[in-house]
Amino acid sequence: MGATDGTPQYIVPPVLGLPRMHMEAGERRDFLPEFVAAADRAGAGEIVLEHGYGAGMGFGQDAYLAASPKVRFADYAEVLASDIVTVIRCPDEAALRSMRPDAVLVTMLHYPTRPHRTKLVADLGLRAVSLDAVVDDLGRRQVEYLEAVGWNGVRLAFVEIARMHPHFAHPSRRPLRVTCLGAGAVGAHAVRAATRYGDPELRAELAASDVPGVEVTVVDFDLTRHEDYLLGRLEVTDLLIDATQRLDATRPIVPNPWIAALPADSVILDLAVDPYDTSVDPPLTKGIEGVPHGNLDRYVFPVDDAAWDELDHGIDTRQRRLALSCYAWPGIEPVDCMRVYGRQIELVLGVVLRVPPDRLDVDSDDPRERAVAHAELGRWLA
Amino acid sequence: MTVPTLGLPRMHKEAGERRDFLPDLVAAVADLGGRIVVEGAIGSGMGYSDADYLRVGPNVMVGSNEDAFAQDVVLVLRAPEDRLHLLRRGAMLVSMLHFPTRPRRVARLVELGLDAISLDLLTDDIGHRLVVDGRDVAWNGLEAAFDVLEREWPEFARPTRSPIRVTVLGAGAIGKDAVEAATKYGNLERAHRLAHLPGVEVTTVGRNLTGRTEYMRERLAVTDVLVDSTQRHDPSVPLVPNSWLACLPEHAVICDLVVDPYLLHESPPTVRGIEGIPQGNLDRWAFGPEDPAWDEVPDEVDRSHRRWVVSCYSWPGVHPHACMELYGHQLAPLLRALLRAGGVEGISREGEYHERALWRAGLRSWVGLHVAAV
Repeated sequence: MGATDGTPQYIVPPVLGLPRMHMEAGERRDFLPEFVAAADRAGAGEIVLEHGYGAGMGFGQDAYLAASPKVRFADYAEVLASDIVTVIRCPDEAALRSMRPDAVLVTMLHYPTRPHRTKLVADLGLRAVSLDAVVDDLGRRQVEYLEAVGWNGVRLAFVEIARMHPHFAHPSRRPLRVTCLGAGAVGAHAVRAATRYGDPELRAELAASDVPGVEVTVVDFDLTRHEDYLLGRLEVTDLLIDATQRLDATRPIVPNPWIAALPADSVILDLAVDPYDTSVDPPLTKGIEGVPHGNLDRYVFPVDDAAWDELDHGIDTRQRRLALSCYAWPGIEPVDCMRVYGRQIELVLGVVLRVPPDRLDVDSDDPRERAVAHAELGRWLA
Repeated sequence: MTVPTLGLPRMHKEAGERRDFLPDLVAAVADLGGRIVVEGAIGSGMGYSDADYLRVGPNVMVGSNEDAFAQDVVLVLRAPEDRLHLLRRGAMLVSMLHFPTRPRRVARLVELGLDAISLDLLTDDIGHRLVVDGRDVAWNGLEAAFDVLEREWPEFARPTRSPIRVTVLGAGAIGKDAVEAATKYGNLERAHRLAHLPGVEVTTVGRNLTGRTEYMRERLAVTDVLVDSTQRHDPSVPLVPNSWLACLPEHAVICDLVVDPYLLHESPPTVRGIEGIPQGNLDRWAFGPEDPAWDEVPDEVDRSHRRWVVSCYSWPGVHPHACMELYGHQLAPLLRALLRAGGVEGISREGEYHERALWRAGLRSWVGLHVAAV
């Protein structure tokens, strides 16, 4: 039958805590007032927001107080003491340790790739739902915004290309050539975005001036491993995009010396955002070797940027082109991002506010409850 | 509240149309208790028997096509254009009705006093379609294209060949899936089998390049598979005039995922994106250059330059079971919500998630919006 068909299973409506994300300064995302209103409707008892919530996106306290009479503001520690804590990026270890056992954490936990953190959450007695693991019956993620990964990255890459190419907006220039490595979900959005310069308005403007458009070529792993082919491809590439999902993160797709094949004024866009890790053997590397790893504070790296030199000396960075990389591409447009995430997570919250995670039924009649049940920590650990 | 009765008639379009809703979908709503009438031999094109449906519950029965159409709610995938008169006044038709592009159909539904929900208009709160099989349009179409290329082009399996070049016209939703499908030869098993060969290079060309004659001629000259996945602003003008097809290598295959019809006498007229190619269906979707289907293209249309073409009005139906499994999965909670609400009268635009989706896809809201807009 499933729990969401009936009445809430909490005796007292749970307190929902919405902390801010204390990562880089450029991380401006918080849930929007409309999400708070939805949480109220979904049955939250009280909604505790951290002081300054939404300020990075221009929302003041009044906007949230107007969204729900259940809202109050508190400091970080008090927010973390709520019954249910919801935040996009997982809080750090100290914050997790400050939560009380039995509290429910709803966040991107990435169980498969963060085993230490997953164990910590379990050891602390927290209950959890990992937003990246909420999937429908066909296995499709319900909380993701890959479209923003593709579009935000591509748009910013074309800003750099326009800046570097004196004839970018001239009808006499040839079509621009984009090479996208990887044909998965991120690649698909990147391709679509690239045919439109990542910016529909710019596309319309250039089309009106009869400026030739963009040709986007996608190559998957059965071609990227052919050195001669790939080097030939790089020679005619204005924008090289890494949208791969590699099975072996210890081997780059484009070793650093191959970057020399790219035209001098070409641009590299890192959408895969795989990290470097030289602490393991063999070390993990990015798909395009040598590209700096960016975040919301710094995501554009000219060839003389110090970030290239700051990488571990074991990483070959000798060949360079202007590169863009950001660990959280959707965060570039925080309001848009949180509007989409908010609507997706509303469905999760509608379940979590009624049913304690350990009572979620993976065979429920309600597809939303089944989706959330798949993401519950106990199910993963089992 | 009385649970409405449900009818599941079969589709009698072409013989190759083997799709019917599966017993799993019937099972998803049978426990609500309403009578469910399925047309005899339902599912037989996919290996099911009447007994598979009857086994679902005592309220499931087998009847004629007319019996199925006589129920309170009638569910059929493709719009039953020639069967609308079989529904009784006040009944509800749930089908791919495409209200925006079929104004005559909308008028006919209203005239007959029917309620309706258009499956293609069922969306979530942020506009994503809830009942859709776009992925199979791309994968099944590309699979058919590579089937032909592999069969007809001796170079295909030679280890010394260059990467196969696919040009995808259009970067919309179907084009997105077409790119991924093309990189895998339209079929994962084939991609695995051919993993030792140079793979597939897929180039997507958007609207801001497809109109440039010189560029397109050069592009076509190096294209092994040409895919049309465009959504044209002006369907009265072809994207690729027939004369351009002469630029394609002789062995090239044209993959038509859009399947626009030729409607030369409508105002404005509609022509196909790639001029001159025949349109296929579930009975026949591959056409060689000598196929008589080319001669069935209207005489006013230039069809002098020809290559192999794959085209099918219902690409998802090429693999009927997978298609209906997906549709059934997507539809089950919506159908359940509809029947549980007692039909359209119980659906509220402010209701729960599925109710809101049903409300938005309803004929009443479509007509209401349309009238309001006028």
